[in-house]
Amino acid sequence: MVTDELIAKISSTYPELEIENGLVSIHPLGNDGKVVVYPQTEEEIASVLRFANENQNSVVVMAGGSKRGCGGLEESAEILLSLEKYKGIVEHTLGDMTLTVKAGTPYKEIQNYIAGFNQKIPLDPYALEYATIGGVVSANDSGPKRLGYGSARDSVIGMRIVYPDGTVIRTGGKTVKNVAGYDFNKLFIGSMGTLGVITEITLKLRPLQKYESLVLVTFPDGNPEEIYSFSVTFLNTVMEPTALELLSPALSEKLTGHSCFTLAVCFEDVESAVRYQVEFIEKLKPDTSGFSVLHQESARAFWNLLTKIPPNGAVEYTGPETRASVKIGVKNLDVIKVMKESHLLQDRYNLDIEAHGGLGHGIARIYLNGASDDVMNAIGILRTFAEKLGGYAVLTHLPLVLRRQIDVWGPKPAYSFLFDGIKSKIDPKRILNPKRFVGGI
Amino acid sequence: MGLPELEQNRPCNSAGLGNYLWNDPPKEYKWADCVHCGLCLEACPTYEQLGQEQHSPRGRVHLIKSVAEGKLQVNEAFADPVFQCLDCRACTTACPASVDVGGLIEEARGQVRQAMPLSGWKAMASKFLLETLFPHHERLEAAGGLLKFYQKSGLQKVVRKTGLINIMPDHLIEMESIMPEVKTSVRKKYKDINVIKAKEKTKRQVAMLTGCIMDVMFSDVNQATINVLTRNGNDVLIPKNQTCCGALHVHAGDREMGRKLAKQNIEAFESSEKVIVNAAGCGCMLKEYPELFHEEPEWYERAQEFSAKVEDIAKYLYDTGYEIPKAELKTRITYHDACHLAHGQGIREEPRDLLLHIPGVEMVSMPNADRCCGSAGVYNLTHPEMASAVLESKMTHIPEDVEMISMGNPGCMLQMAVGVQKYGRNQRVVHTIQLLDWAYQKEEVQGGKNHGTK
Amino acid sequence: MARNKLDTNDPHILHLAKLVSGPNAILYKQEDLLAYDCDGFTIERHLPRAVVFPNNTEEVAKIVKFCSENKLPFLARGAGTGLSGGAVPLNNEIIISLVRMKRLLEVDFENRRAVVEPGYVNLKLTNSIADKGYYYAPDPSSQYACTIGGNVAENAGGAHCLKYGVTTNHILGLEVVLPNGDVMEISPNGIADFPGYDLLGLLTGSEGTLGIVTKITVRILKNPEAKQTVLAYFDRVQDGSQAVSNIISAGIVPAALEMMDKVAIEGVEAAAFPVGHPKDIAAVLLIEVDGIAAGIDEQIQLILDVCKKSHVREVKVAEDEAERARWWANRKTGFGAMGAISPDYLVQDGVIPRSKLPEVLERIHKISEESGLRIANIFHAGDGNLHPLVLFDSRVPGDTEKAIRAGSACLKACADAGGSITGEHGVGIEKKEEMRFVFNDDEIKAQTDIRDVFNPDRLLNAGKLFPTPSRCAEMKQELKRPEHAK
Repeated sequence: MVTDELIAKISSTYPELEIENGLVSIHPLGNDGKVVVYPQTEEEIASVLRFANENQNSVVVMAGGSKRGCGGLEESAEILLSLEKYKGIVEHTLGDMTLTVKAGTPYKEIQNYIAGFNQKIPLDPYALEYATIGGVVSANDSGPKRLGYGSARDSVIGMRIVYPDGTVIRTGGKTVKNVAGYDFNKLFIGSMGTLGVITEITLKLRPLQKYESLVLVTFPDGNPEEIYSFSVTFLNTVMEPTALELLSPALSEKLTGHSCFTLAVCFEDVESAVRYQVEFIEKLKPDTSGFSVLHQESARAFWNLLTKIPPNGAVEYTGPETRASVKIGVKNLDVIKVMKESHLLQDRYNLDIEAHGGLGHGIARIYLNGASDDVMNAIGILRTFAEKLGGYAVLTHLPLVLRRQIDVWGPKPAYSFLFDGIKSKIDPKRILNPKRFVGGI
Repeated sequence: MGLPELEQNRPCNSAGLGNYLWNDPPKEYKWADCVHCGLCLEACPTYEQLGQEQHSPRGRVHLIKSVAEGKLQVNEAFADPVFQCLDCRACTTACPASVDVGGLIEEARGQVRQAMPLSGWKAMASKFLLETLFPHHERLEAAGGLLKFYQKSGLQKVVRKTGLINIMPDHLIEMESIMPEVKTSVRKKYKDINVIKAKEKTKRQVAMLTGCIMDVMFSDVNQATINVLTRNGNDVLIPKNQTCCGALHVHAGDREMGRKLAKQNIEAFESSEKVIVNAAGCGCMLKEYPELFHEEPEWYERAQEFSAKVEDIAKYLYDTGYEIPKAELKTRITYHDACHLAHGQGIREEPRDLLLHIPGVEMVSMPNADRCCGSAGVYNLTHPEMASAVLESKMTHIPEDVEMISMGNPGCMLQMAVGVQKYGRNQRVVHTIQLLDWAYQKEEVQGGKNHGTK
Repeated sequence: MARNKLDTNDPHILHLAKLVSGPNAILYKQEDLLAYDCDGFTIERHLPRAVVFPNNTEEVAKIVKFCSENKLPFLARGAGTGLSGGAVPLNNEIIISLVRMKRLLEVDFENRRAVVEPGYVNLKLTNSIADKGYYYAPDPSSQYACTIGGNVAENAGGAHCLKYGVTTNHILGLEVVLPNGDVMEISPNGIADFPGYDLLGLLTGSEGTLGIVTKITVRILKNPEAKQTVLAYFDRVQDGSQAVSNIISAGIVPAALEMMDKVAIEGVEAAAFPVGHPKDIAAVLLIEVDGIAAGIDEQIQLILDVCKKSHVREVKVAEDEAERARWWANRKTGFGAMGAISPDYLVQDGVIPRSKLPEVLERIHKISEESGLRIANIFHAGDGNLHPLVLFDSRVPGDTEKAIRAGSACLKACADAGGSITGEHGVGIEKKEEMRFVFNDDEIKAQTDIRDVFNPDRLLNAGKLFPTPSRCAEMKQELKRPEHAK
């Protein structure tokens, strides 16, 4: 009833806008909308926001939907602003190695396009089949190669953002270096769409690596000390891995067939430099460790497979078990401890737990699968564990009912009043992605 | 840019000079090159200690300029930063535009001393040192006065140390034993000799500045210098009429006395082709004599001619060639760049090269080797706190595992000896040229015994 | 601790003096303050109310709290090498000098991070970890003197940020004193992606308007196995620019790619670190490649080939570390070296998409001709960061104004080419009006809104970074006043 009125109101104000009733089926992960709008221009996006702002309608922003299970406490907002149809490459300047794209453009589409010019966005997020660039940036998603290339905050150089009142602002620019005014890109990266709707993103690109190899060093004894000491020795050399990812035995078995802790080490450079590094690490590895190498296409296939492991909101899941994904941040080498802990939790709670984490950047991902109580208990343990190490745990994927039982982002930091202040300045009526972010923002 | 403007010889109270009311003010062309970039900050030992702009080269230049702009008086607030400067010249090395901060400071000190003459014990001490003592060689030799001067700063023990053999490895004591005992100054020793002839064939003739402190406190260094010069075919002349170089006076702002001494030296060395100096501070001063005569064109020219003849001993040997000794010294040393050698005269590689060519000398490099040791003429008397803070910082960089610290300036030798003593280190402080001399002497001794002993 | 006797009745000064320990921890007499009337940007000068020298975070917090409670304007200062006037006390501020907070607190090689106080000098960090084979990547030309706290405030760049990024890419954690005196630890332990808005990113480059950083966790990197540096001379600037684009397009990410034009070459050759560049060439490129030794030769060969195809006159690879160091000293002291050919210079910091180099350089050349002032160009060509150095003589009446106008015109040229008005020096006082070249009123308001969240009373470093309210806003104010007066 209310929905029909809303649709009628929006349609009469913006007759061109594609709009549909969202209540046909409510998604089990929530973050849905009673009305779904599919703007195709920035003006339309601004119009929808202006409308929502004036009418105090809550708005959820989404495109591919792979991050639907991350944060948010409502089944449905008034309006689901879908950027699925706001896509395309705006500008690609080959010589400048910069690219401007619309936020709803699927990540994979972009990578495929610029690969034709021997360039790449140096980010390796998850759920590549579904993720859009806007989602990757808004959720600050990053993968194992963050060690070599950094995360979204290191690659995004400019954006266009629509504020809740419909104002369009530009942040950054088209140059790889820019310190005019505050570094506003940073404010919106990882803000989970709670401040504005990102419509365009300009990224700095890297040349596509000339050669790529993946080294797998296994640790059959599973001794964390041994992993630690090898990693420290290796990191203290002049080798330049772009990923140094520790895989839990369960995940390693799935990806490599070896059921033991395995280090996945990626080298990307000219072929001679890659081969030199592969030989180097082979000589350095402990005697008890297994060693195998994947080159080029097979290395890429491995990483591709890894991006498909985490549960994601865009894939329909009807199974009986609860699936959760946890992102843990700790000091780089503490990832080893986190991996060990996640491995031990499997037995304790009778869960399937697959985990991996970067020893050069300190971000670990843990995927849990099992009865919901067990999952929640294990999450509790992991969070306490991470916090004891001075880090944090964020639940990047969890069913709605469980999100209502636990704080997805963990405890509020002492400076969260600044978050509130920022939110209040930009979105005073709190219409954008309400309660989806830290401290109930 | 950069050319001294002799026509700047204006009346004393020229409006263009702001609050500089006396002759010989800091020169505008010197500060005009400063763009306030701040690259000098970390080079400055006083900024390192105090962290305050007015005690940095850039800050001092800014203040010197401010006086000219009429924003600041020549008063205590101006005098403090200007006199707190060690005059180490490290800033000039660091400066991308080679701003002559040292020159500006000296000129500014000249203004300060004329604006506010010293009074009380400071005046007496200064007068005693600068007017009564240093210019008069015979008085300096009366060690009593000198000891008084050193007692004041606790240097007494150290002075002895530099002349004594203590805590030295056996083979060094052995080496010491082959050295001639020099107690009298070389000026006294050679007072009746016109030219000290080269040991073998004469290739060149040089005149030597004996220096005031050097010749009394470190007469063995002067002797070593003569030995090395004569060994390498130089006839050495010690002009009788020479006097103190005046560096201490100029550093203290007494430019008038500085000019007086400079004139005397210019005349004393008039007939010499080359003036060899083994004290970096003196050498630097001699090379900068023209700076004192911006307002006396005739002397400016004579000073330029004179300064072109001045050369540091290490650089002279490096340039003209010398015999590499054959005997091995077997010692580990480190080298300290005297400010007025490295920053003041740009001489860094030559003494190192000389040391490295002595067989058996192993050189351990000293981090921040060209950082001031805090001696800076009489600075350690006028600013004892700062001097000892700078020294402390210097001592942390001296490698533990060396037997000797070599350098090319007597002021540094005294200060470093204080450091060695104060921080319980056991290095011996030596002049670069001494090492070369010892190697020659050892060679001669060995040459004589060669068959019998081995 | 020695407490110096104060010769003042000013209650604020007397109170402030009690908040800081150590000798000479406060300056308040006009003669002592004179040296603090500007930083590396000398065109605008203002005396501070006082300068205080805190020794630790607690003292900073106390000073800030006192200033905040008594509505006293204040700002933080490091080495004062900033080139946009960020540390100039426009409003008679109390300067909080952080130079006594210069300790290296911790180095954690295993996790590749170091914790420093804000007054710690950039190059000292690299020097103190060099023996273990590590370094701190951001290397602004002033790295001999500038502090890491200042680097954070300005989001400093440097010659090697083409490959390794600028300061913000290397800051892992900050302890910050907010303008109300609260002390906050952002991203404790330097752990990545702490939940919440990216305050780390926002604070870095905020030019000291959001808070005062008192502790910094930075990323340290392992020295590359090998480095090679190439020097290439071009007879035409266009050829040099083309070579820059071609090198990047060939899939090489050089660690540095620097360029100097003819006037700049004249300057560096006349100054303290000449290397003997031919006087008659139009442009010199300095290209550095680093990484795994086994792969370097291939890249160097590629660079040499590209240069040759771009009509290079002469191209050579540094023979040893000494030669490489000489080339870099010549380049890094380039700004100050202008002192040797001009009494004053004004350095600009425009940034453009790399491909626009030839056209923007041409426009700068025209600006030089029109203004009658020489403009030297020293720049980070690889990331399109231009440093036009406008040479002038402040003693010549009208010259300073002319230089400022020429500098501004250079920035306009950059903005028009799709670039920005500053790549690494910051906006400060110098370029706040030029902010309008790149941002509209909404965008500027969006930023000042965020400033007001942190700095609601605008006591901290006010009057910087943003243009004075726009013309029409001013007009409205003007119109209101007489009405109100009635």
